[in-house]
Parts: sequence; C-alpha cells; structure tokens
Amino acid sequence: MKRPRGALAISLVMWACALIYLYPLFLVVINSLKSFSEIMANVVALPSRLSGENFVNAFTLMRYPNLFLNTLFVTTMGTAGVVLLSSIAGYKLSRTRTRLSWLVFLLCVAPMMIPFHSFMIALVKVARTLHLTNSTWGLGIIYWGLGVPLSLFMYHGFVKTVPKELDDCAFIDGCRPLRAFFQVIFPLLQPVTVSVVVINAMWMWNDFLLPLLILSGAKKSMTLQLAAYNFFGQYKIEWQSAMAGVLLTITPAIIFYLILQRHIIKGMVAGAVKG
Amino acid sequence: MGHARRKARLARGLEFFGMTAPALIAILLFVEIPFLMSITFSFTKWNGLDKAVKFIGLANYTELLTTDPGLGSAMIFTLLFTVIAVAATNVIALLLAVILDADIRGKNVLRAAFYIPNIISLIIIGYVWRFIFSRGFDSFSALTHLGIFQLSWLGDSRMAFASVALVSVWQSIGFYMVIYIAGLQTVPREQLEAAVIDGSGPVSRFFRITLPLIMPSVTVAVFYSLSNALKAFDVIFSLTFGGPGTATTSIALDIYKTAFSDSRFGYGSAKSVVLFLLILTLTVYQLTAFKRREVET
Repeated sequence: MKRPRGALAISLVMWACALIYLYPLFLVVINSLKSFSEIMANVVALPSRLSGENFVNAFTLMRYPNLFLNTLFVTTMGTAGVVLLSSIAGYKLSRTRTRLSWLVFLLCVAPMMIPFHSFMIALVKVARTLHLTNSTWGLGIIYWGLGVPLSLFMYHGFVKTVPKELDDCAFIDGCRPLRAFFQVIFPLLQPVTVSVVVINAMWMWNDFLLPLLILSGAKKSMTLQLAAYNFFGQYKIEWQSAMAGVLLTITPAIIFYLILQRHIIKGMVAGAVKG
Repeated sequence: MGHARRKARLARGLEFFGMTAPALIAILLFVEIPFLMSITFSFTKWNGLDKAVKFIGLANYTELLTTDPGLGSAMIFTLLFTVIAVAATNVIALLLAVILDADIRGKNVLRAAFYIPNIISLIIIGYVWRFIFSRGFDSFSALTHLGIFQLSWLGDSRMAFASVALVSVWQSIGFYMVIYIAGLQTVPREQLEAAVIDGSGPVSRFFRITLPLIMPSVTVAVFYSLSNALKAFDVIFSLTFGGPGTATTSIALDIYKTAFSDSRFGYGSAKSVVLFLLILTLTVYQLTAFKRREVET
C-alpha cells in the first residue's frame, strides 16, 4: 500500500517528538556515568570517561541484591496471591446464581471505588494489630486485599464466556472442586491471568506509599522504591550515585516491559477498560 | 431422601464458602474494615500511639471547614491540578493516538517510546525530574540563554504547580494513548473512506465520525485520569513534597502529613472521608454524564 503524501514528514516530526520526550531519561543515563564535579559543571555534556564506579557505589550503598530480592518477593507473593484468590472466587461467584453470591460479589468489587488514601491511616493500624508491619510477608499479604477487587472483577466477567458444560464434565469426573478448577477451568482463563499478572506485578513493583507505611521501621525488609527515597531524601544529594541508583531500580521493570511488551500493553488496556 | 438433599446442600454451601471466603476476607481485612474504621476515627481525637481514643463528635469536621487552611488550599490545588492534568493528558494522548494509528513509518517503536515513562514508578519519575529542574535546567540555560530555563521551577509557587502538572502529564500520556489507540482500531475504515469520498477533510472527519465512535474510550480514559489526578500523591511527594510552602500539597499528601507527620490520626481520617466523598461524587458524575453522550451518539 502506498503511504499517503506527508506521512514521511509526520513520521519525522513524531521521531523528533519522541526523542525530546525521552531526553530526560537519556540525561539520567549519561549522568549516571559522570563524576559529581562533571555533573555540577554540565549536565548535558557526554561523560568524559566511561566508568561503572557510580553503579558499584549505588549497588553497595543501597544493598541492591538484598533490596532486589525483597521487591521481587513482595511482587511475586502479592501477585500470586491475587491470582489465586481472585480466579477461584471470581469463577465461583460467576457460576453461582444466588442472592448471597451477588451480595458477596458486590462486597468484593465495591473497593474499586474506595481510594487508597482514604483508608491508609486505619490500614496501618490494622496491619500493626495483625503483626504484618516491617516484614515483606506482611506487605505481600496486604496486597492481596488491595489487588483482588479489580482482578476478581476481570475473572468474573471472563468466566461467563467459558462454556458451562466444561465444569460439569470436570465435576462429574469426581474431582474435588479445586482440582477440577485448576485442571480444567484455570487454563482456559489464561488471557485474563496474563492481564491480572501484568497489572498487579507492575503496580506492586513500582508502589511506594504502602511499602513506606508498612516497612518504615525495618531496614532489612526495604524495597527498591524506598531506597530511591533514601537516596534523594538526603540534604546533600550525591547526584552521580542517585542517577545510577535510579537506573538500577528501573532496569528490571524496563526489561520486564521489553520482553512482555505486547502483553503488558494489552493487559493494561484490558484492566482499564474492564475496571 | 430429605437427608441426602440436605447433605448435598451443605456440601454446596461449604464449597461456595471455601472458594469465596479467602478473597472476601482479604478484602474485608485490608480495605473495607480499615475504611469503616477511618470513618469512625474521623469522629475521634487520636495520636496513633496512645491507647486512649477520645470521641469528639463532629469537632474534626468543624475544624476542617472553619479554622484549618490546610485542606482548603489542598482542595484548590487538587481541583486546579485535576482540571489541567485531565484536559492536557487526554488531548495530547488522543492526538498522539490519532497520529500513531495512521500508516506511519516506525509507529510501533514510537508507541513503545511514548509508553516508557509509564512503566517507571512515579516516585522515581519525580526524582528524575527534580534532577532535571534543579541541575539540568542550569545547563540548558547556559547553553541556550532561554528565559524559561532560568525560572525557579520548583522554588516558585506557580512554577511548582506547572512542574507538577508537566511531569504528571509527561508520565501518563503513554497509558492513555494506548487506550485511545485501542478505541481507534474499532472505527470501521469504510465509514471513514465514505467520508473522504464525500469530500470532508481530516478535521471534520475526526469530529463527525471518529470522536463519536470512540466515546467509550474517552469515557474510560477521562475516568482514569480524573480519579488518578484527584488522588495525586507520589509525583508530588518526590518532586516538591507539597512545596514551596503548601503550594503543591494535594489532598492525599495533606492527609499523609496530617496523620504521619503531625500524628493527628483522627483529624487525618476526617480528611480521608472528605477525599473519598469528593472522588466518588466527581467520578460518578463524570461517568453518568459521559455514558449519556455515548448512548446519544
């Protein structure tokens, strides 16, 4: 097909826009390679030498392996829990047509309308009472409650498109309900599961306020986002290490994005449109 | 017979309970009970540590409405910010979507490029831009001698407002662009081609055919940008921490400071209730108003 006239010009303009748009991130990259005095002298200039010194510094300062594993643990545990709880309950609620089921469904999805900031104060109190503060376990568990409403809503809607005869087969075979669910139904829900994993994992990896509130007192259970706060919260910021720290923090998310780009964009849209 | 039926009913009930209770308990524990507790706290005076929680009736709410300038200014900031962020985000995102939905060289790479800031946490985005505004702009102004780079983007109240808005829009347009692209792909080509034959130009085609057809996407995108703007927290926390003074303190940040910096949990809870009601009213109003337009067109 012939491209319409002017398409090339528009394309060039858009490429220029994209470069300007991402220029701030380019500045982060080049400044993560400079020394402090180089940054103070000129932010725009390219680094005079290539040295990984800042990265080594940031790596040890923020105890990167430790924090990376903490963040990964919270994200994995939170996401896995949300997938399990919301797929099972979403399926069951979608298949059960009783008034009780409808009431439970409403109770489960109503929180989508409650902004986090309007209950965070009491949530901290609840977390303290249940001894969930200052631990990555506790944080992961709290994410279950926060993540389930939207995910359950998505599963609930999708289950309607799965033929009911399938569960009859599964259950007649005499499987226990959960086994039947995981062997027959769960694989069929894969498109929603991908969206649910993407939405929850991106959110939990990047979340800041909940970890701040829940992990505030514990150095050993910190997450990467909290480390960024410590870097920049200081009176005199060491820009060179901070920029390296920023890159170390965002790289896992960027890699995750580049590998799963299609799924991520589709998942995000699905979550938004269905939510 | 009756016995067997009762047993089957019990088994069904247990199965229903077993499969739905874990999800419901998690939600009750970490969202709904805390939410109800917040409403209760809002009628009390409590510093978060003491065992003693003193019931003080509506005193928090009267303070909030009469003597405290904090929430008022936070409310004004939040509403102004919301109007600007929602308008700018949606207009730019829609424009980008229209351009990148057309047959353009490298459109997939371009879409990915505009989406990238969206996968970085807002807290990091705020810090990155604090670096750009504080150090980067010095270098830009030395290079270009342009006046805008010499302004105090984080130190002056008005400029700080602009900075927060700029960074928020910069971070989020990729996400809304993707929603709009998904909507544009549902527009039937034949209808657009017919309009070309009728001799209507690209602008009139957009407003007369495309826009009415993608109203569902507009509803969703405006809804999300609206509720996100009303809840704005992370970017402000890392970019300005609500400053200078309280110039960029949003309601969410005001709640955080009231509860966790000033240790006024009861009063902070009263503000939480106000935020909840504000978001609920505005989003429900937006959804009904936009849905009505969807039906009409």
